[in-house]
Amino acid sequence: MTGSSSKGGNNSYDYSFKILLIGDSGVGKSSILLSFISNSVHDLSPTVGVDFKIKMVNVGGKRLKLTIWDTAGQERFGTLMSSYYRGAHGIILVYDVTRRETFTNLSDIWAKEVELYSTNQDCIKVLIGNKVDKDSERAVSREEGMALAEEHKCSFLECSAKTRENVLQCFKELIVKILEVPSLLEKGPVIIKQQILKQKPGYQAPHNGGCCS
Amino acid sequence: MMRSDSSKHSSSSEPEGAEVVYLKDNVTIHPTQFASERISGRLKLIKQGASLFMTWIPYKGQATNARLSEKDRSLYTIRAVPFTDVRSIRRHTPTLGWQYIIVVLSSGLAFPPFYFYNGGVKEFLATMKQHVFIVRSLEDANVFVVNDFQNPVQFDKLTLVWGKARQPPLGSEEWATFLDSEGRVMDSKALRKRIFYGGVEHVFRREVWALLLGYHAYDSTYAERECLRYHKKLEYETIKRKWQQGISPEQAKIFPNFREMKGLIDKDVVRTDRSLSFYDGDDNPNLNVLCDILSTYCFYNFDLGYCQGMSDLLSPILFVMEDESESFWCFVALMKRLGPNFNRDQSGMRSQLFALSKLVELLDSPLHNYFKQNDCLNYFFCFRWILIQFKREFEYEKLMRLWEVLWTHYLSEHMHLYACVAILKRYHNEIMGEQMDFDTLLKFINELSGHIDLDAVLRDAEALCIFAGENGAASIPPGTPPSLPVENENSLLYSQVSTR
Repeated sequence: MTGSSSKGGNNSYDYSFKILLIGDSGVGKSSILLSFISNSVHDLSPTVGVDFKIKMVNVGGKRLKLTIWDTAGQERFGTLMSSYYRGAHGIILVYDVTRRETFTNLSDIWAKEVELYSTNQDCIKVLIGNKVDKDSERAVSREEGMALAEEHKCSFLECSAKTRENVLQCFKELIVKILEVPSLLEKGPVIIKQQILKQKPGYQAPHNGGCCS
Repeated sequence: MMRSDSSKHSSSSEPEGAEVVYLKDNVTIHPTQFASERISGRLKLIKQGASLFMTWIPYKGQATNARLSEKDRSLYTIRAVPFTDVRSIRRHTPTLGWQYIIVVLSSGLAFPPFYFYNGGVKEFLATMKQHVFIVRSLEDANVFVVNDFQNPVQFDKLTLVWGKARQPPLGSEEWATFLDSEGRVMDSKALRKRIFYGGVEHVFRREVWALLLGYHAYDSTYAERECLRYHKKLEYETIKRKWQQGISPEQAKIFPNFREMKGLIDKDVVRTDRSLSFYDGDDNPNLNVLCDILSTYCFYNFDLGYCQGMSDLLSPILFVMEDESESFWCFVALMKRLGPNFNRDQSGMRSQLFALSKLVELLDSPLHNYFKQNDCLNYFFCFRWILIQFKREFEYEKLMRLWEVLWTHYLSEHMHLYACVAILKRYHNEIMGEQMDFDTLLKFINELSGHIDLDAVLRDAEALCIFAGENGAASIPPGTPPSLPVENENSLLYSQVSTR
């Protein structure tokens, strides 16, 4: 009995990008990820610790391996989570358009965390307002979102993990931006090289009827 | 294809498509030094598909002595161990006496020696060779290493310890024997030991969990527990009323974050165990109860407040206690032990992860060295296991079993850390064989959820704890959570109450 292996399938790609989802608890980080990865949406338990999913995509004729990290939203876990920022190419900052505090916390808490822990100077950021399907409960206007994005020099989109509206675009926007930054692309091939090194045969495949005397 | 004749000796028959490739009678273990307590059985190698399994079933009705019950005998039964779980087999061929073998599992644990009263060790090894890949150890020609491609000569000074097989859960008749006529637990250590080896039937969890968690004292009577329940209910309602009536400006000064915390609780409760019928559906009243208990706790202990993960810890307690106030006080008792997991500075988690690294260093040094080389010594990949006591790793019934076993604090307060080591050891070969880096390891561990064999882990954890002994205890720095709750606090409380 084993956990499902992440190996297998076609492993070749041009670039490998690490993307981080951050923002307050309950804004829908895990749901956005699930919506992007598997086209399905259902109720999720609050994320404890950290998890990530891998998705292969083709953008601009390039085959890309995305490693998307999903983190616990409570600030208290911050000190332990800080190490996960290391080497991120892109960061998606998420708030909930129906809860204003999740929006203000992005500048008050999360943007500061990024500044503190992100090791990649050129790391691309995207601001995402989630849950636009609940338009009647909206507490943060589109204009406010755009203004915050401008302040932090990042792109801005609104989406709904539930209806999947704009979810793909959020990731696409981020990836296209990453592809435009040469310094971020340099890191891709390095990772591939490491992977190739790691794949060199470490041991002989098991075979039956081996001798032992 | 051959099917075993199960009429007389063996109680099991082989499943479809299985072939018995080796069968030997009168293969015997010697659990004690007394000849009268030896247990004989039938050893088989069974091939199913590409896999080879070993079974050893003791004979029934060996009425040679009265000291070994059928139950004791069945403790040693090996139903079907796949050879993928076997690390090595050591052959002993003394010039005098019986030949025997020792089977060491990849977890590092071993079965008791099997004495071949009718010979057949050579044939056993020859048969094995035909079906699995084995190499002879360079250091000891009597050691045959199975499936180990990384470290063919890693076999080292293994002491032979093995965890006992689990017993059936504690049932009503047996539970009654632990209590005196007024309901006191007469021998709390014996009770904790019994629960450690088999857990409790669900209907008794309500009573037993309150004792294990230290909410009720073991030496309290039925009447005293009832009395405590009554007074604690009033106390709970008083605390609950305080936050429900709204926070006064003075309280807001002490606790400015209450509203924020309340928001978090509301968000998390609707996302906790909703697939369980106890919590499913819209407007399920149990969700409100979860919410009220967590909010009351947050108010009751505002130094700690609410932290994500607490709803996971409360959910099974409410499911078992089915009473709001009782659940609250059991949760309070649990948080006396696990509260430090949620410290703002994360000190409780850090000290446990550190202790875990020390235990792995002691109990699986190749794995420790591997983690060291690969920058994995922070053990963050075990964060979820420890933070919420494996809540996300097992389905509900198994989880409740695990929790009551851990809460006995029998053998060690830190059995959960030995359980972590046991799981890591189980996947030692995969982790090192696939050369997992930190990211891959994290994903691998997260995806083990729902696939971990609880009984095997408990058995291994016990064996590892015994094997580690004093050195294990010394690896865990003093003050590493969960520290035991302060004894006698409750009994003091209701000695005040009952003298009125």
